[in-house]
Amino acid sequence: MIEFKDVTFVHQNGVRALDSVSLEVGKGETVAVVGENGAGKTTLVKHVTGLLKPKSGKVLVDGVDTRETSTAQLSRKVGVAFQNPDHQLFSESVEKEMAFALRNFGFPPELVEKRVSWGLELFGLEEYRESSPLVLSGGEKKRLTLACILAWDPEVIILDEPTVGQDAIQKEKLAGTIRLLTSTGKTVVVVSHDIEFLWPIQPRVIVMKGGRILGDGMAAELMLRKDVLDSARVAQPQLVTFFEGLSRRPKATFADPLEVRRWAGGNR
Amino acid sequence: MMWLSGGFVFRRGTSVYHRLDPRVKLLISLLMFSVTLMVQALYQLAMVISVMVAVAAVATVLRRVARTMLLTASFSGFIFAINLLATGNLASSALYAVRFVAIVVSTSLFFITTSPDELEQVMKTFRLPRDVVFAFVTAVRFIPVMMLDTLQIMDAQKSRGLELEKGNLLKRVRNMVPILIPLVVNSVIRSGELAEAMESRAYGAVPKPTSLVKYRARPVDKAVTVLAILLFALTAYSFYFLLPAHFP
Ligand SMILES: Nc1ncnc2c1ncn2[C@@H]1O[C@H](COP(=O)(O)OP(=O)(O)OP(=O)(O)O)[C@@H](O)[C@H]1O
Ligand SMILES: [Mg+2]
Repeated sequence: MIEFKDVTFVHQNGVRALDSVSLEVGKGETVAVVGENGAGKTTLVKHVTGLLKPKSGKVLVDGVDTRETSTAQLSRKVGVAFQNPDHQLFSESVEKEMAFALRNFGFPPELVEKRVSWGLELFGLEEYRESSPLVLSGGEKKRLTLACILAWDPEVIILDEPTVGQDAIQKEKLAGTIRLLTSTGKTVVVVSHDIEFLWPIQPRVIVMKGGRILGDGMAAELMLRKDVLDSARVAQPQLVTFFEGLSRRPKATFADPLEVRRWAGGNR
Repeated sequence: MMWLSGGFVFRRGTSVYHRLDPRVKLLISLLMFSVTLMVQALYQLAMVISVMVAVAAVATVLRRVARTMLLTASFSGFIFAINLLATGNLASSALYAVRFVAIVVSTSLFFITTSPDELEQVMKTFRLPRDVVFAFVTAVRFIPVMMLDTLQIMDAQKSRGLELEKGNLLKRVRNMVPILIPLVVNSVIRSGELAEAMESRAYGAVPKPTSLVKYRARPVDKAVTVLAILLFALTAYSFYFLLPAHFP
């Protein structure tokens, strides 16, 4: 679905934000991108919708080279919710805010109405339908931007830091929504620093640092790689640390720290 | 926007020119500015511009200045056309058009080599009220931030299917709404937050706060000042009394 072929990108100020990144994300996969601040995660995301074009190499989305199409066209397939909600909310009402993209894509009015109601309910925002999106709280704004993206039902959904400012319940709901999306065959990419949020989702994890991919694998395995996690400044999920500690005790209950995989599976 | 960022936003530099006392840089730019207004003929303007280019070369910002000139030239073309239509005088229309470029370059040379901190010091030496200085300098400091904001807002809206480069003029103007509203809202939010943050860090607590840096003119600064004034006087004199107003 998404394919990066040896992609390098250098910002105007000379920062090499992506350094020969090669990557393939299949249809229906759930992928988490983690890594320290400035690792190049947002830059990676912007390449998927063609907002940034690679300096060298190629990005293919559903077989289409991002250089040969426009962001508006790509975004019908790829919905990105960016980090900062204040960078996109502008309408008079929450409802209109959600309808904006749908109108841009030419959805018929009845469908717009239906999708908006569905999104507001999914993210617990019905009571704000008529209010201005600018007066919502930080966490609510963030949820609204997620609702805005899901509203047009893109094939690929990319969430940049979706948990910022969300309380525990909202985070859990969000994790549920991501699982729901995965179960309906969507490709989901989540950029996040919140390892505890990602762990129960058990995604494929891509660890980035300095524009490079340091590690790529299923959460249950990659989260045991202390070397990779430390060098990318990613915290290990507490559950993993706990079971690793247990397995190192003389009368270990677990012969192998990899046993944690079974636990991860059973812990959903 | 590229014009604004290339022509007026400070970027760190280490050239001799960057290290001059900011007041001297201001003086040089003011003198160059005044000379462009005294110019009587196109060839004199060419002389003035070559001095500016030389200054830009010393300040190692030649490429930025060249780009600013190119971008300004499109505005100038407009000025030229209007003047030509109004007066029918080719020479004077060209003079106005090129003069505009020169004015922009002289101002730009000051702003791209003077950091906001230096700007603050300059304004303080003129004994402007502290709040005015602070407001002005903060505005200058936030130009690059706002430009970054604009880019990110454009990215976000394009990802929601907004096509900026499509449709007729009216449509294009309407397309700016989703960009401008978040930009303005962000700026308002930010200025409110900035005010609160400044107050909680005791801005305005004492009438006369101390400064971290005190500027003192070094011998180089004094020498450059004298040189600049001499050159200015000489140029002004020759433009009015020695050189013909029309190239023979
Ligand atoms: N518009 C820009 N102009 C110049 N440099 C940029 C720009 N955007 C990002 N960078 C630089 O590129 C690098 C990668 O930035 P990016 O935003 O992709 O990081 P990130 O992994 O998303 O970080 P964070 O976790 O803080 O969101 C950083 O060093 C950053 O300073
Ligand atoms: Mg980021």
